[in-house]
Amino acid sequence: MLAYTMKRLMAGVITVWFIATATFVAMHMVPGDPLMNDKAVTAEIRKNLEIKYGLDKPVGEQYLIFMGNMLQGDFGISFTQQNRRVNDIIRDHFPVSATLGVLALFFATIGGVVWGALTAVYRNRLPDIIIMFMVILGISVPSFVFAALGQLLLVNINSALGFSLVPVAGWGTISHMLMPSLVLGLSTMALLTRLMRSSMLEVINEDYIKTAKAKGLSPLRIFFKHQLRNAILPVITILGPQIAAITTGGFVVELVFAIPGLGRYFVQAVQQLDYTVIMGTTVFFGAFLVLMVILVDILYGFIDPRVRLQ
Amino acid sequence: MSDRILEVDNLSVEFATYGGTVKAVRGVSFHVNRGETLAIVGESGCGKSVTVQAIMGIIPMPPGKITGGSARLNGKDILGLPAKQANQFRGVEIGMIFQDPMTSLNPTMTIGDQISETLMVHRGLSYKDASALAVQLLDKTKIAEAAKRAKQYPFEFSGGMLQRAMIAQSLACNPAVLMADEPTTALDVTIQAQILELMAELQRTENMSIILITHDLAVVARMADRVAVMYAGQIIESGSVDDIFYRSSHPYTLGLKEAMPSNKGDRDKKLSPILGSPPDLFHPPVGCGYFARCPYAMKVCEHQQPPEYLLAGDTTHQARCWLQHAGAPVNKRLYQTGANHAD
Repeated sequence: MLAYTMKRLMAGVITVWFIATATFVAMHMVPGDPLMNDKAVTAEIRKNLEIKYGLDKPVGEQYLIFMGNMLQGDFGISFTQQNRRVNDIIRDHFPVSATLGVLALFFATIGGVVWGALTAVYRNRLPDIIIMFMVILGISVPSFVFAALGQLLLVNINSALGFSLVPVAGWGTISHMLMPSLVLGLSTMALLTRLMRSSMLEVINEDYIKTAKAKGLSPLRIFFKHQLRNAILPVITILGPQIAAITTGGFVVELVFAIPGLGRYFVQAVQQLDYTVIMGTTVFFGAFLVLMVILVDILYGFIDPRVRLQ
Repeated sequence: MSDRILEVDNLSVEFATYGGTVKAVRGVSFHVNRGETLAIVGESGCGKSVTVQAIMGIIPMPPGKITGGSARLNGKDILGLPAKQANQFRGVEIGMIFQDPMTSLNPTMTIGDQISETLMVHRGLSYKDASALAVQLLDKTKIAEAAKRAKQYPFEFSGGMLQRAMIAQSLACNPAVLMADEPTTALDVTIQAQILELMAELQRTENMSIILITHDLAVVARMADRVAVMYAGQIIESGSVDDIFYRSSHPYTLGLKEAMPSNKGDRDKKLSPILGSPPDLFHPPVGCGYFARCPYAMKVCEHQQPPEYLLAGDTTHQARCWLQHAGAPVNKRLYQTGANHAD
């Protein structure tokens, strides 16, 4: 188990290095640079700024300097935001995005498992048909549409009540987090529902369910102890990649709900070619996702003993 | 009468499929005496598994449906009970083991936990007591280092070991009947012999009845006291193991015997298979199910179902074949006791 974890972590480090290098190359191949904004009005000022930020050096050297700093955990200073270190931007805003993401994932997983199990129990009957219709909606409608609809719903509720029960936008309290995380988790929830449904239907035809029945166990016990636990395995497998989908999907939802998350800075940085912020946030997100996937794999081992010993 | 532990009468089971209704079991009657082994033999799809699974109430309904008949365990009707009542005999009075031990145990639970689960549910034991008893049960089925093995998962067991564990699990509550649905089909021959030996031994020590479903006549000869031969959803011949092997009274039983390889020297003798294929159970034949393949078929066989004939001079040997009718022609290969033959 330890050797397995170490191996996965090593592979993870290589992945992150690859992400960093690819981002660096892609960024420098895009025409223009961060100094093309209004700051560098004359050639002289531009030259001074280039020296200040090290942009006068050859690209290869810049890469080495960047990698060296990154190894020490320093992503440098933002080009566009006055005197703001990239590390500070991440430290200030990532917790917001992470909270949103974790909450969304929580909704998605609980919802997916519960709805999926329900549809399997009511297979081909009305509850199944209704839920599966919603699932198709959830998968095909983009999150910004749900975000806008969610806000509209909140506005209507609040104005009907005459006071603000759940805030429409902003960040701070738990009630602020409810709607955006629900919206953010919706498509994942729909996906997990489908997965859980087919997985449940597969497990119910397994021989060991027949054995459990022949043992004289109650339907409830068979459902929870024999069917659910085995059916949930594929759901856990897909959770790793889904964390990626949720964190990247979060950018749009953060924008609609005016949430001060890291997503906004990431998008802004790409638009303004803010080299250090692009690099910092990309590498950070990449490392975060790689870590999540590894964590999920380890978690999988706890639920499925067959994975544990290999 | 009192030593009949399980009595099944005229059981019929159907399955609704997209292609229509499959009449999988068409009026099956048999009984099992206390402490004996009844073998139910027949080719794939003849309804032998469905029969026992219907008795256990574990066929999925829908699409399955029990359309008639009864099953009495110690005189109590047990057919088609709702889960709550059925669970008073499932795993308690009737234990069951299945064909493929590799897939018949929950892959995410330890062997010990799966056995103790039965004990906790039916006997109300604490987890600790049940676990200790589970180890004893594994020991009883001759699994070495039972205590260590109980903490392992199915994927850490071999096929033979898993079938032993399955047997241990089914014996947890000392059932009066053990239903074994092709228990050795998925195992190799040496392991088969071990498992059969174990079952025979446990039958003696626990004094239980065994219903053994198989398509292996060698297994039948070795294990069974009585045999029921099934074909196309019906029992076409039943009797003691000697009756079936030495006094075969149905052409199908004869066909099965001839299709079996022997180790008696005549190596050059070719096996003679039963030609044709079993009837379509979407539209079961009006007459005898074996009509189309039977070398001795008569006109009456096509249009009328043969009744179950009790062979003269015997109380248990029955055959569902017109050739046992008093007016039927004499057939030298079949055991007949009809009037014509007696002349």
